[in-house]
Amino acid sequence: MNLINTIDLAVYAGEVQLLQPLSLKLTAGERLTILGQTGSGKSLLAQAIMGNLPDSLRSSGEIELFGKPSCLKSRRALWGRQLSMLPQEPWNALSPLMSAANQLAETYRLVAGQKRAQAADSAAEVLASHGLSASLDKRVDQLSGGMAQRVAIACAMAGGAPVLLADEPTKGLDVSRRDHVVLQLLNQSAKGALVTITHDVAVARQIGGRIMVMKEGELVEQGDAGVVLEAPQHPYTRSLIAADPVKWPGRSGPEIEQGRTLVQADGLAIGRGGKALVSDLNFSVHAGEVVGVVGDSGCGKSTLGDTLLGLAAPVAGVVEQLVEVPKHRWQKLYQDPTAAVSHAVPLRTLLMDLVKLHHVDSARIAPLMQRLGLGHELLDRTASQVSGGELQRFCLLRALLLDPVFLFADEPTSRLDPITTREVSQLLVEVAREQGCGVMLVSHDPALIEKRCDRVIRL
Amino acid sequence: MNALKLSLAQKTGLGLLLLLVAYATGAALLQAGDGNSQDLSHILLAPDGQFWLGTDHFGRNMWLRLADALQLSLAMAVLCVATSALIGVTLGVLAATRAPWLDRVLDSIVTLILALPGLVLVLIFAAIAPGSFLIIYVAIALIQWIEYFRVTRAIVQRMAASPAVQSSGLMGFGQWYLFRRHYWPAIAPQLFTLAAFGAANAVLMMASLGFVHVGIQPPLAELGQMIVELFPYYGEAPWLLAQPLVLLAVLVLACHLSGKGATR
Repeated sequence: MNLINTIDLAVYAGEVQLLQPLSLKLTAGERLTILGQTGSGKSLLAQAIMGNLPDSLRSSGEIELFGKPSCLKSRRALWGRQLSMLPQEPWNALSPLMSAANQLAETYRLVAGQKRAQAADSAAEVLASHGLSASLDKRVDQLSGGMAQRVAIACAMAGGAPVLLADEPTKGLDVSRRDHVVLQLLNQSAKGALVTITHDVAVARQIGGRIMVMKEGELVEQGDAGVVLEAPQHPYTRSLIAADPVKWPGRSGPEIEQGRTLVQADGLAIGRGGKALVSDLNFSVHAGEVVGVVGDSGCGKSTLGDTLLGLAAPVAGVVEQLVEVPKHRWQKLYQDPTAAVSHAVPLRTLLMDLVKLHHVDSARIAPLMQRLGLGHELLDRTASQVSGGELQRFCLLRALLLDPVFLFADEPTSRLDPITTREVSQLLVEVAREQGCGVMLVSHDPALIEKRCDRVIRL
Repeated sequence: MNALKLSLAQKTGLGLLLLLVAYATGAALLQAGDGNSQDLSHILLAPDGQFWLGTDHFGRNMWLRLADALQLSLAMAVLCVATSALIGVTLGVLAATRAPWLDRVLDSIVTLILALPGLVLVLIFAAIAPGSFLIIYVAIALIQWIEYFRVTRAIVQRMAASPAVQSSGLMGFGQWYLFRRHYWPAIAPQLFTLAAFGAANAVLMMASLGFVHVGIQPPLAELGQMIVELFPYYGEAPWLLAQPLVLLAVLVLACHLSGKGATR
């Protein structure tokens, strides 16, 4: 029996076709991975099947679920128990007011139909298996991004739905957690069908099954995972696979000589609210080098950045900033670029605000934008109207215009697809070399760290 | 956000408000005389060519008198909304972004004010100096700033901890910039809804004071007080009593309709 069967499913915004007509079949025990860059229409496909497309979009074509034709209304009845979706951006999917354990217990109670006490037990047990036993009572804002993702995954799976649609389930997770999540998804798919949407080739490889490669709303290649990934036919699939950090060329050029010391940490302990997450850190960052920072999710990587930039007080020890420059030359890049800029005005206004405040030579903007691959028409839009990759490059543009001496890049590429990731991280290295800027690059991807960094600090 | 999109309800509400403002300011141009001069030979007249809305029990011209009362209500609404929004937003932003002790002090003041029912507080103030427009205005503004304060504080608290604000701070932008580019765009849409409801409440509160004889004193026209005055003549001239009532209802309705937020 086909669990999912779509016939010429297409998605439109007004008259514009965002997703070209697509037919796919999925039987029990099958796994399907949809691979593609951000903005390629992957999520739209999942939302169209699920039946939760935004109001401004409409779909055409037919969808059969569990062998029966289904309309929007009948699909809603399947949510949670038969058909479950793991959405992107876990902190938006979770209630900000409830503790992790309570949210999950509620799902067990109301969706899976367990008794209150039993649901609480199930929740505690599952969260512990995700390595969250210390965070049962934490709310979303107290969890790190990776932890919130794990809670959301547990919630999506709690209903025991045989068909699971996972939209970028591993975005922002480090490798060990990613493997754990993939394993869980695979377990789930043994009982039903699994549709995974990802831009991570490694995840696609691990999940196996069938693969569909999408580009700009169009299916460019499909087939068995092994075949497609080993012998890609379409140039787009090839570039996507080549953009996997593992495949990047290594660092080239002579070893850089150490510049002056920018910042030094002595016996530093970092943490929030007086509780140390990591202690006894001793390191220094020099001009012109790229230092990698790795560690599990929630281990204090972002806190380290805040402490070095003087935004958070160290729990113990000292941080010394050894160069006398204005504060605005110590900069930071954020994990989620959409949360890091104002959405109220066009990007051009934000840029001009900066130019005016620091008397930046505006002749520098055009060449820098060209190098970052940013078109000028982009500046007329607001932050909500550009993609995450474009916005991250805009953030980088703003930071670079300030001639930073130190740049803390907090997982700047975790929300970007591999092709953009390669470009952005390459730029960071170039900037460090050219401007003599010390860069600390946080990432959960060991391959990326290895290919881009001169040294690594492990937390 | 540049193109202001209004819902049908909002268009209706703003249209009604515009009409009311036009009447309040333009009524005197269409009929000679004033709303306070009495003419005991023409009392309780039904609307006719000379007195478009009739006359009251002292023979005063209702068309002009209602316009006077409406002027007073509109002025009160505008003043109260402007003052309380200014105070509430300023204090809300300060409470959310400055030292924690300021937040605690402001919060306890708010709790103190909230402990008393709003109307009772206004009544106490009004009883100190009955009939003073200034005192009524101060009393209503004193209660209404709390809503703005609470909403602003909640929004700004969340935003102040956001990466966007942190990033702007790192880039060297000052507090005023943070307000302009980050806080204000988040507060503004809520503020409009609050202002519309606040205006309606201010109008109703002033009318309630008039109703219990501690508001604006006669012979000055005020909607609530007119309703009480005309109540005894309900049997002989029901149209008279209906006029301030309908006007009050339309004014409040217009405010509420314009606040019926654009759903985005």
